[in-house]
Amino acid sequence: MSEQEKNIAAEEAENNIVTEEISVENEIALSGSETTEAVAKKRASGAPNIFVDGICRFLSWFGFSTKYYKGSKHGGKIFMDILDYLVLTLVGLIMLYPFWWMICASFASDGISLSSTIFWFVNPTWDAGQEIFYNYTWFMEYVPNVTAGATFWRIVFNTLLYSVVPVVVGVLTSASAAFAFAKIEWKARDFVFFFLLAAIMVPGPTIMITQYCIYNALGWDSNGLAMWVPGLFGSIMTAFFIRQFLYGLPTSIVEAAKIDGAGYWRIFWGFIVPLAMPAIMAQGILSFFGCWNNYLGCFIMINNEEWYNLPVAIQKISNLFNGGAMNPAVTIAGSVMSVIPVLVLFAIFQKQIIGSLMLTGSKE
Amino acid sequence: MEEMISAQNAEVVQSVEEGAISVQTSEIVESVDGAQGAVAKKRKRRNRQERLDNFWGWAFCAPLLFGTIAFVYIALIITVVLSFTSYNGSTPLFEYLFGGNMSAMNGDPFYWYKYVFTNENLFRWVYCGLFNAVFYMIGIPIGMVLSMFFAVCMTRDIKGANVYRIIYYLPSVASTIAIVYTFNRLFYSTDAGVINQLIGKTIKWLNPEAGLAWSPSAITSKWVVIIMSTWKGLGGTIILYIAGLSGINASHKEAASIDGANGWITFWRIVFPQLWPTIFYNIVTAVIGGMQIYMEPDLLFGGGNTGTYLQQTSGYVGLIVGYSHLGRMSADPLIGLSSVLGIFLAIIIMIMTLFQFYLDRKNNA
Repeated sequence: MSEQEKNIAAEEAENNIVTEEISVENEIALSGSETTEAVAKKRASGAPNIFVDGICRFLSWFGFSTKYYKGSKHGGKIFMDILDYLVLTLVGLIMLYPFWWMICASFASDGISLSSTIFWFVNPTWDAGQEIFYNYTWFMEYVPNVTAGATFWRIVFNTLLYSVVPVVVGVLTSASAAFAFAKIEWKARDFVFFFLLAAIMVPGPTIMITQYCIYNALGWDSNGLAMWVPGLFGSIMTAFFIRQFLYGLPTSIVEAAKIDGAGYWRIFWGFIVPLAMPAIMAQGILSFFGCWNNYLGCFIMINNEEWYNLPVAIQKISNLFNGGAMNPAVTIAGSVMSVIPVLVLFAIFQKQIIGSLMLTGSKE
Repeated sequence: MEEMISAQNAEVVQSVEEGAISVQTSEIVESVDGAQGAVAKKRKRRNRQERLDNFWGWAFCAPLLFGTIAFVYIALIITVVLSFTSYNGSTPLFEYLFGGNMSAMNGDPFYWYKYVFTNENLFRWVYCGLFNAVFYMIGIPIGMVLSMFFAVCMTRDIKGANVYRIIYYLPSVASTIAIVYTFNRLFYSTDAGVINQLIGKTIKWLNPEAGLAWSPSAITSKWVVIIMSTWKGLGGTIILYIAGLSGINASHKEAASIDGANGWITFWRIVFPQLWPTIFYNIVTAVIGGMQIYMEPDLLFGGGNTGTYLQQTSGYVGLIVGYSHLGRMSADPLIGLSSVLGIFLAIIIMIMTLFQFYLDRKNNA
C-alpha cells in the first residue's frame, strides 16, 4: 500500500513540475503579444477554451485521459470502484427484490392489500387483531384438501424423504464411481466412462414418460419409491464433478496406502471420502436443493396424492385459488415456506457451494 | 597301448568334457529355471494387482452403472420400442411388452412418425412449440453478456465481492414454483400488477390475445419468461465466469498493458480468448437446457392447466407431457406419440449440439 501511495505521490509531483515548466514558457511567450491565441496558450494544458480545459481536467480526476490532461490513476481507480459498487448494489437490489416482495406479500390479508404491496407490508387487518401468520396457517390447513387428507407435515416429510435419502446415498455412490475413474487403473475404465458420458446426452423429457410407465408397472408411482429409489444410484454429473476434484488430490496417497496394505475399500472410506469431503458436501447440498425443489419429477411420476411433495402441493393449492375469490397470498406464503429452508442452508454452506462451483468452472 | 591310452585319454577327456558340459548345461538350466520362477512370481503378483484393480474398478462403478443402464438406457430402448406401438397405458408396461400384447397403431409401425407430419393440427403445435423454445433462447445471449459484465465487475479488487456473489446466486437455489408464483403476481396483467403499477401502464403480460405463437401479444408474454429465467440463471453463470477469469494468467494482462493496450483491448484480445472454453461450455449447456424448457411457461401461464395460452407460450416439451398419462391434450394417453415426440427432441438437440461444435471447430482443433 505504502509503495503504491509513494508512486502516486511521485507521479503527481512529476505532473506538477511539467505544468510549472509549461506555464513559465507561456508567460515568456505572453510578454510578446496579447492575441487570443496567446491567451489560450496561457492555459497550461493548451486547451482552446476554458470550458474544454475544465471538462478535461474534471475528467482527469476520474482517470480519463484526454488530449490535454493525463488521467490520474489513483482517481480513476476510486471512480471505477464507486461505479462498480453502485452498479453491483443497484442490480443486487433487483436480484433481491422478488424475495423481499414474496415475504411482504405473504402477509397480505386479501387480494386488495396484495396488489398494493409493492415495497412494504400492506395489511389493514393487522390492527384489528388478525393473526400475523394467518396466510401461513391457512396454507397448512388447506394442504389436506389437495393431497387426499395428507397433512402439511406429511408433505414436508415426503419432501425431506425425496431429498435427503437419495442425496446422502447418491452422493456416496457417485463419489465411489468418481474414485474408480480418478484413482484406479482398470481395463474397462475409459469404455465405462464414455458409456456413462453418452447417457448424459439423452434428454430427460425424452425418457420421462417411459420412466413413468416403468415405475407404474413396478407400483412405484403410488408409494413414493419413484421419487427416491432411482436417486440412490447416484448421478453422472455429480460423479464427474467429484472426479475433477479427485484429480487434484495426489495419487501418492493411494499408492502409500496400498503399500501399507490397505485395500481399495479402506482407501475409499479412510482417505478419499474425508479428503474429498468439501466437494462431496457441496455437490450433496446442490443436489439437495434440486430434489427439494423438484416439481416436474413429482408432478409426472407420482400418482398418489398422499405422496406429493411441497412444490406440487403449492401448485395444487394455487389451482384451487385460481377460480375462486380466495386470497392468492396463501400460495405466496406456501412458496415462502418452501424457499426459506433452502435459503438458510445456502447461507450456512455458501462458501463450500460457491467454492465447488468455482472448482468445476475452472476445470472446464 | 598308445592307442588304448589315447583312447582312454580321449574317453577321459570326453567324459570330462561331457561332465563339464553337463555341469554347465545343468547350471544354465537351473539359472534359467530360477529366472523364470522370479518372472512368473512377479507376473503373478502383477496379475493379482490387475485383477484387484479390475474388480474394484467395476465394483465402485457398479451402482452408478446399474442406475444408468436401468433408468436411462433401458428407458431409452423402451421409448424407441413404444414409439412403434399403440400403447396407451391401460395395461402395465411389462405385461404389454412381454405378454404378446404389442401391436402397431392401425397396423403401421411408423404411424406416429407419419402422424406428426401429416396431422395439420399437431404439426402446428410442433412448430409453435419449437418456435417458443427457440424464442426463449434469446435469454441466453442476454444472460451471457450480463453475467460476463457482472463477473468482470466482481473480479476487480473491491471489498465485499463475495457478498455480491452470494446475492446474485440466491435466485438459483430458490424453487422454480415459488419464483413463478412471485413473478405471476409481479407481472400480473391487470392494473393490480406490481410492474404495471410501477410503469403506470396496463400491459397484458401474462394474458396474450388469441393468435399463434408469434403474435405480438404472445411475444410480449414470452419476454416475462425470458426475464424470469435470466434473473434466475444469472448467478450460476457469473460464478463460472469468475472462476474462468481468475484462472487467466495475470502476466499476460500485464504484458498487454506494458505494450500499451487499454482495458477494452486487453479484454477482447487477452481475456476473452482465454475465457472462450467456459463461454462455449455455457452456450452449449444453455441451448440443451433451453430446448427442454417446460416448467416456467407452463406454470406461469395458468398453473399447469390446459390453458388457451399453451400453444402461444409452451415449449416443445409441453407436447410430450400433453400426450402422456396426464391427459392434457388427448383423453386417452398416447404414449406412442409422446415417445415419437421425445425421440424427435433428442435428435433436434443432438443436431443443435453438433452444429455448435462444428462452428467451434477452429478453436478446438
